[in-house]
Amino acid sequence: MFRRTFLKMMAAGTAGAMIGDIPFEAFAASDKTVNWLTWENLAYDKYIADFIASSGIKIQKGFIGSDDEQFAKIRAGGAKDWDLITPGLDKVELYVASGLLQPLDLAKIPNAEKLYAPFKSTGLGKKDGQTYGIPFYWGINPMVYRADLMDEEPDWSTLFEGTKYKGRLAMRDYALEGIAIAAMYVGIERSRIFKMDDKELAECKKACIAQKKLLRTYWNSIADLTNLFAAGEVVCAFSWVPPYYDLRAKGIDMGMAKPKEGVIGWCDTCAIPAGTTPESTEAAHELINFLLGPDYGKKLAIGGPYAISTSTARDSLTDEEQEKIFIKDMSVMDSFVWKENPADYGKWVRIWNEVKAS
Amino acid sequence: MSSAAIETKRKRTAFGLTIPTGLFVGTFCVLPLLVLFSYSFFQVDFVAIIREPTLDNYNRILHSGTYMGLIVKALVYGIGIAFLCCVIAFPLALFIAKRVTVYKSALLTLLLIPLYTGDLIRIFAWRVVLGAEGVLNSLLQWMGIIHEPLWFLLFSPFATVVVLTYNYLPFMVFPLWASIEALDDSYIEAAMDLGSRNLGVFFKVILPLSGPGLVAGFLMVFVLVVGDYLTPQLIGGSSGVTVTSAIHDMFGAAFDWPTGSALAWVLLACMTAFVAIALYTFYRSPWGRGIRGGRR
Repeated sequence: MFRRTFLKMMAAGTAGAMIGDIPFEAFAASDKTVNWLTWENLAYDKYIADFIASSGIKIQKGFIGSDDEQFAKIRAGGAKDWDLITPGLDKVELYVASGLLQPLDLAKIPNAEKLYAPFKSTGLGKKDGQTYGIPFYWGINPMVYRADLMDEEPDWSTLFEGTKYKGRLAMRDYALEGIAIAAMYVGIERSRIFKMDDKELAECKKACIAQKKLLRTYWNSIADLTNLFAAGEVVCAFSWVPPYYDLRAKGIDMGMAKPKEGVIGWCDTCAIPAGTTPESTEAAHELINFLLGPDYGKKLAIGGPYAISTSTARDSLTDEEQEKIFIKDMSVMDSFVWKENPADYGKWVRIWNEVKAS
Repeated sequence: MSSAAIETKRKRTAFGLTIPTGLFVGTFCVLPLLVLFSYSFFQVDFVAIIREPTLDNYNRILHSGTYMGLIVKALVYGIGIAFLCCVIAFPLALFIAKRVTVYKSALLTLLLIPLYTGDLIRIFAWRVVLGAEGVLNSLLQWMGIIHEPLWFLLFSPFATVVVLTYNYLPFMVFPLWASIEALDDSYIEAAMDLGSRNLGVFFKVILPLSGPGLVAGFLMVFVLVVGDYLTPQLIGGSSGVTVTSAIHDMFGAAFDWPTGSALAWVLLACMTAFVAIALYTFYRSPWGRGIRGGRR
């Protein structure tokens, strides 16, 4: 038992720790290169090998550990090192305001025509009619729980009230989502969540402080949360999707809940930093078009499992595969609260720190 | 060559030899700290740093119960764990220095082994020991001492203290061992000849004369504990927030480099003040004789 738990913990823990900034190259016989800063799970060789072979473009990868880290890196002068980056849709405006991105030439990205409606109509990622960050892949952050250790399906209130699961719950250590979920719990209108005034924020803070007393811990890496679920330390958490599939595959009865008050939807984009060479810009556009296309879309849907932002791969997926990435019934998107960047995010972070220090 | 010329040459050589270190420390330590210091007077507006000097950041931090509370918490943990390490390390160092002869280096190497593994490995190993289904809980349940797992063993301040003490114990043992090793046994024998008992010898001879090692170890552990945010974060549970993680959040999540810089500098100032006061107090105390030399 111990040995098994120990090995599981070691594997999960060290894997989580090692996801970092480890650049390596996928070679091709060409001078055209795209330096791609992205999440490691989006750039596996098995996903992009066909593109490298057919386009002759060399891809040099660098990996990010968080969206914030990516912005800090690019903002601190790192833009010149990369031809393609992966900001969250809600973060693109920060890059644009800092003059770090160039507008995309949508004529060179034919697959953009097939963007799902919410991504076509969103104002995020755009400025003055030009697209700076094109939606690339997306998903939801639901509640994941140990169905074998809980009597009923949880909702957001499980994380804020009652004593039944006290000390067995976990929350992500992330101000934006932590406070947004508190807002859904206290009943703030969805459209106001990222535009809350001080009074509403104070209400959320109160809820978060109450929540803290119920938590086993705040989690920082999804590998760590998976490990906490597996070891039985945590029975229910605001989570990402992977622990649900990973642990079900290992025979643990896991559940996934999408509370009716709303679930956090996220979307990452493809964006090209300002100042790239014409060749790299060209190649980066070519890569973006591939990433929004059927080949990559299918591989990511099966391997991720994550959905890309276009319908190019949808028809080639089985019902089950579509269900897994939430594209079988597109009306599910109506319950999403898409992450946005609050005007004074610094204040949100200060409140979150006050909650954690309470 | 006259003795004055030799002395001048010696000084020049010493100066020349310190230049590379000085340059390194100046470029990679002092200069970034100065940049950080200058940022602490700026403001941030969305994503733009406004370079108009103001004391607002310091004002906000010094009047914030949260941030000052986190700084005090960091200092209390630093002092507390350094003290715990002292208590545990002293008998160990004394034993290795004065009682062990053959296996001395083997024992010292054994002490270092945990440091060969990474921080994360140690943290996850402790989770295996302290977890609800962990070694300790299972053992206690098997022995019939408890019937339900003790949840406070992990993800609690208790766990943080245990793991931090374990992590930094070698940094206390080594300087202490070096000090005690250098202590001439004849002092101990003389004290015993003059009628001192074990405790008397310890407090009147060994402790004062191992002062430099004690101070060095204490300060090392103190600084390392204050700066460690990974252990409290991964072991301390929902109460694992530290001032260092708050600084990290300021720079990363909030893109508020000025407030982050100011918080870092307030922490640095508090640590410097504590170290200065601690050193002075120890220097003036009867136990500071090892540092003062023969002077009263």
